[in-house]
Amino acid sequence: MKAAITAALLLVAGVAAADPATPAKGLVEHSRLEVAPGGRAIKQLTIENPLGDIKIEGYDGQSILIETRKTAPDEDALDRLRVSLIPNPDGTVRILTTADGGKEVRPLSRGAVRIDLIIRAPRDARIDAAVSAGSLEVINMDAGGELDTASGPISVRNVAGGVSTHSVSGNTSLTQVFGSVDAQTLSSDLDLDTIGGDRLIASANQGKIAGRRVRSRDVELTTTDGRITLEAEASLRGHMVVASLRGDIDVKLRRHGVVMVRARGAKLNLGSAMASAKSAKDGWVEGQLGGFKPSAQASIVELRSRYGLVTFAVIE
Amino acid sequence: MSCDRVRRQLTSYLDGELEGSDGSVVRGHLRECAACREVAGEEAMLRDQLRQLPTLDPPPSLWAGVQAQLAAAEVADAKRPAWRRALARWAPVAPRFAAGTLVAAAAVGVLWWRSHRGSADEVPTAPSRDLAVVPAPAPAPAPSPPPPANDLAAGCAPGAASAAGGEITADLAGEAARVTASYCDAAEDLLVLAGEARLQWTDEQRAAFDTKVTELRGQIDRAIAGRPRQRAWRELITYLQRAVVRDDVALAGGGQ
Repeated sequence: MKAAITAALLLVAGVAAADPATPAKGLVEHSRLEVAPGGRAIKQLTIENPLGDIKIEGYDGQSILIETRKTAPDEDALDRLRVSLIPNPDGTVRILTTADGGKEVRPLSRGAVRIDLIIRAPRDARIDAAVSAGSLEVINMDAGGELDTASGPISVRNVAGGVSTHSVSGNTSLTQVFGSVDAQTLSSDLDLDTIGGDRLIASANQGKIAGRRVRSRDVELTTTDGRITLEAEASLRGHMVVASLRGDIDVKLRRHGVVMVRARGAKLNLGSAMASAKSAKDGWVEGQLGGFKPSAQASIVELRSRYGLVTFAVIE
Repeated sequence: MSCDRVRRQLTSYLDGELEGSDGSVVRGHLRECAACREVAGEEAMLRDQLRQLPTLDPPPSLWAGVQAQLAAAEVADAKRPAWRRALARWAPVAPRFAAGTLVAAAAVGVLWWRSHRGSADEVPTAPSRDLAVVPAPAPAPAPSPPPPANDLAAGCAPGAASAAGGEITADLAGEAARVTASYCDAAEDLLVLAGEARLQWTDEQRAAFDTKVTELRGQIDRAIAGRPRQRAWRELITYLQRAVVRDDVALAGGGQ
């Protein structure tokens, strides 16, 4: 079955050309390949490239177009760089990059070689991609995905469906994501712009989180040390928790309907909108925006920073 | 010639390295001294036996490895900034240079002390304006946090984070372990913070926390190395961060 599907692959173009014109930076080899599914749509694309960048762009076609750019100091090193394509019967396609051990006597350092992948994929394929220090960029996809990096940056733009990103020290930027988001970094920043899914969970251990135009109903932003700034819309029955241990919190809320706000911090600046807020137990300050009595439709906003300043404002 | 002196020269004699009269003197002594002759005979026999041992050729990989290490050292050297290479050239004389500097500094210090000791009482006790401003202490942590509920150190791969570099295949093989080690370090830091936070918790909360952490640790141990194990570490980090930052173990225990 696998062989049949492999045989059904349509290899439209495979052009490989060494470019001797750039000896200073070593040899560069470009190749392009189009992979067409054999009767079954490509559901998921798994890409692991520890040797460079990945850029995935969705389009309205059915095949996958893979553009590979390999860079190496010499011909022998170039020969060791491999890009494997593994189509599976279940409609998933795997692309892996590796460097062969081969019989080379001369060692090759990782910094001397590079493989960058630019992939155009069917818009409705789910993406599962991982890089190491390279950048990972996903644009115009409709089925979301899971993206992992070690120190490379992640950039997601105009993507629908659930998106899950994880990075150790690469900055993460999510723009125009219309699906649930789960973004986590250890020691880098998170930038969120125009997020519209049901749920937004973002956390940074030693980094900042900045959110703008967030419309998710359930929002949970957490940092240990970094500052959190958020400009969001409170939706009916929404639940928003913005919490940091040592970082400041600055939330600007555009509200629709009743909003219950509770805040606690080393220092509070809740603005005029919360002038009537009352102190509750354990250092919490609570107040209600809009309406005169508690409403089941109210959205709940919880802001807390143990050692930081908590600032809250309402955008009318 | 004494026996001691002859025996010291025996090796050179047997190697044919003694020239002219030296060789004949030893030879003459050996003709007359039975004890030295015996020693010489034993040494000669040992040499014959050693010569009869089969010659061992080193495996081809040994030379390849040596070459690889030499090349790697050259690459590393080329990548080092110029100032570090210059520093390395000075390294052999650095101890002497340091000693000289120390002596010179001591001499200057003694001279300065002698010239200023008369005015020592006039030194103001107020802090100088040039002193750096000491930042305000961080918010007071708990007095003495109890030990963390679970020791993660055993699960972390020590040194994995610094294993980058070297040959590309080895470097790629260690990639997942390095990322996992980063997650492990972060979890350890959070566990220390949790150790401080748990002072405020009730016994039930502590027990719930410990149970949950143990469960998540079990998941990590069971997970396959690579991305599945990293996923398991992230779950632990998320739990710990919620427990620490939102200081509500019950809420954190609720998970997502």
